[in-house]
Amino acid sequence: MDTAQLITFLSPTAPRRLRVIENILVGKRTVSTLYWGMRYHQLSWLGYEKRLTRNVMDQTALELKNKGLVTVEETNAQLTELGAIEQQRLLNKHYQPKYLNLRLIVDVEALWQRLLLATQVVSEQAYQNKHYYPLQVSWQVKQFVKRWFHQFYSDDLRKAFQDFWQTFLSQLPNDQALLMSRLLVGHQRPGETLVQVAHDFELTESEVRVMITDLICQLAKVIAHTETASLRSLLAGLSRSLISTSAQQTLNSFMAGKSLEVISHQRQLKLSTVREHLLEAAIMLPPEQFDFQRILPAQLVTQMLARLAKTPLDQWQFTQVADLSVEFWQFRLLEILRSKQTDDKY
Amino acid sequence: MISTEQLYQTLQKRFGFSHFRAGQLEALTALTAGQNTLAVLPTGAGKTLIYELYGAATQQLVLIVSPLISLMQDQVTTLNVKGEKRAAALTSLMTYPEKNWVLQHLTAYRFLFVSPEMLSQDAVLSALQNVSLGLLVVDEAHCISTWGPDFRPEYLLLGQIRHQLNDPLTLMTTATATQHVKTDIKQKLQLPDATEVVLPIDRQNIFLDVAQFETQTDKDDRLIELVTTLKKPGVVYFSSKKKANETAELLALKTHCRVAAYHAGLDPETRFKVQQQFMQDQLDVICATSAFGMGIDKNNVRFVIHYHVPSDLEAYWQEIGRAGRDGKQSIAILLYQPGDEQIAQFLSDATVPQENEIHYYFQQMAPQIAGDEKANLIWFYKQHHYQERQVQELFERRREQRMVAFRKMMGYLRTPTCKRQYVQHYFDQVSQPDELPADCCSSDQPDIDLTALGLISTNDSVTVSQNEGPASWQAILTQLFNADGKTDAV
Repeated sequence: MDTAQLITFLSPTAPRRLRVIENILVGKRTVSTLYWGMRYHQLSWLGYEKRLTRNVMDQTALELKNKGLVTVEETNAQLTELGAIEQQRLLNKHYQPKYLNLRLIVDVEALWQRLLLATQVVSEQAYQNKHYYPLQVSWQVKQFVKRWFHQFYSDDLRKAFQDFWQTFLSQLPNDQALLMSRLLVGHQRPGETLVQVAHDFELTESEVRVMITDLICQLAKVIAHTETASLRSLLAGLSRSLISTSAQQTLNSFMAGKSLEVISHQRQLKLSTVREHLLEAAIMLPPEQFDFQRILPAQLVTQMLARLAKTPLDQWQFTQVADLSVEFWQFRLLEILRSKQTDDKY
Repeated sequence: MISTEQLYQTLQKRFGFSHFRAGQLEALTALTAGQNTLAVLPTGAGKTLIYELYGAATQQLVLIVSPLISLMQDQVTTLNVKGEKRAAALTSLMTYPEKNWVLQHLTAYRFLFVSPEMLSQDAVLSALQNVSLGLLVVDEAHCISTWGPDFRPEYLLLGQIRHQLNDPLTLMTTATATQHVKTDIKQKLQLPDATEVVLPIDRQNIFLDVAQFETQTDKDDRLIELVTTLKKPGVVYFSSKKKANETAELLALKTHCRVAAYHAGLDPETRFKVQQQFMQDQLDVICATSAFGMGIDKNNVRFVIHYHVPSDLEAYWQEIGRAGRDGKQSIAILLYQPGDEQIAQFLSDATVPQENEIHYYFQQMAPQIAGDEKANLIWFYKQHHYQERQVQELFERRREQRMVAFRKMMGYLRTPTCKRQYVQHYFDQVSQPDELPADCCSSDQPDIDLTALGLISTNDSVTVSQNEGPASWQAILTQLFNADGKTDAV
């Protein structure tokens, strides 16, 4: 996290909650975090910086404030006019990721470890070298690549990998291709570190990190569609569910027509937990995969919207509808539905 | 019994060497004669070869107890790289089925690494009781001694565990041990009669230098000057990750050297890359914390500079021992600024739990989360039925010991007399004045001429840029996948 990155998460038109931005980056999946993360169009960054600390977050915000780029009230920050100009400048100048959404459905960190180690193994094989110091990866990744190599070593891996990297890198702008290739590890090539490439390309570390993560997401996409079995199998077991396993089970029961009370009883969960599961699913999944109407009957929606229609979504207050026979979680669900229908970026 | 001739044959066949290094044959001869052995050999002397060769010669399982997971993994990798596939580390990072698999296939392994905690688990112990154990190795054996700087309470269990394993032949190894610690190791492992193989810890080809500065700016300027002029490669040690990072940037900016930081805060990919770049001479200088060094077997390191004062002479000696393994002239320089001792003392204190912390953790009913070392330390004692009062006394003593050890460290940098003799005295290995090297230390030669020592870099124009590799991604791919069709004679 640095000031340039935080600026891109903020808005000139409305204050944003620093705690939400922080919790998204750290990867907290509470309904409130996910809801506001969706509103800030920040969900694809969920868990991007798991080791981010409160201290770093606050220091970064303070730095922006001292430069006159944001105003901070309590823990809500909004870009000043100067901040908006700086944001625009950074958006034009800095690399903007396009594929980060893939992070939510693929464990791209593990994929990168596997691919990096597999590339090293194939490179050493191409030089018929069996005595080398392998990349230090987690035990699981190491075991996976061992089995993978055992399965495919008699294929022409050298050609498969060279063709793969050749094809992938040639569709990238030259500087991105060079940057990525310099990270690779192989025979008599220890590979360069992120700090080293950042230095050579005159980029900040956080910029390079975003660029690399986005490139790895693109790699995941390409690997998913490749015909080459040795490469495609590197993705095995790395798909992630958009929602937690427990929430998925609740959703399945719900979509099968069971009432919330029945689900609560059968799964031995509190009713509030069942509701949270459904809200998580409603936020994370495409709207057609969630039955909004069962929880929000048309008549109730009409009643609520009559009160809320003139208020911008992010200023809706539960008090506006509290006297109707409606519960807060239904109100939140309407917010989610509305957000998905209009996608009004503010 | 295995003959000396057989040992030499195995050395030649397995390792491609025709000569043992000092201490190796003595230790092996003692072991093959069935004598439990304590080997005190300096870092880089080839301790691991002793048990590797023993395992290869006797074709039996060697069980190595080691204090750190990262160290174990590194040792397994090193064995793998040398072509020994039958090596594994049983660690807490493995899942239950993975551990189980290893335990059920113990006979498939020749070298098994475990931590003392892991070894004290019933399942592990009983699996090991059912196989024939050729050799038990207690690596970093000084960890058993409360007198040493790296005391690990789990090591105290080893004496008992050894009996439970039917008293196998045992090799205890350590790099640095005072007489006091040596006696303590043997006593705690209940092996008072173990044979000692002790090599001089002195490294005659390392010139010992201490330089004092009034301000941090002076210190930084001198560091820049040293790094610019000294023959490379070299290592600069720091007590803090932050300072290591900052100085790596500073040196890269001011010296034209290829510099990188290395510490435990880096991700494994970066650590691997920095380590390998250094090994392959693609880096000139590493700015490191004490995390650097494990598994680094680079023999041409010309200088080790300490920017902060280490907490004891054991640590200092271990770290400067990375210089000059090729036997050529090298230098160890300690940069000191009055006030530095506060940093060291703070860090040293921070590792020993305070009275109120001990009291707090003693009230807890469950083990603490992983990573909180102090909490886990105290949990260990609680679990092993110590009273809070005993633990308080224990740590009180320990704080005093740390203080004494640190005073000895400060004594090294302050002594107006020979620094080498000071260290030798500390490790109870005093040698005669005529055995000291001609170029010894800054007490004897305050104005040492680095050029005369041959430590000044001869090509001032080393301005190799960071990206000396291929300039295009196409060239990188060609090299990676040997598209030119070269085969290396490896």
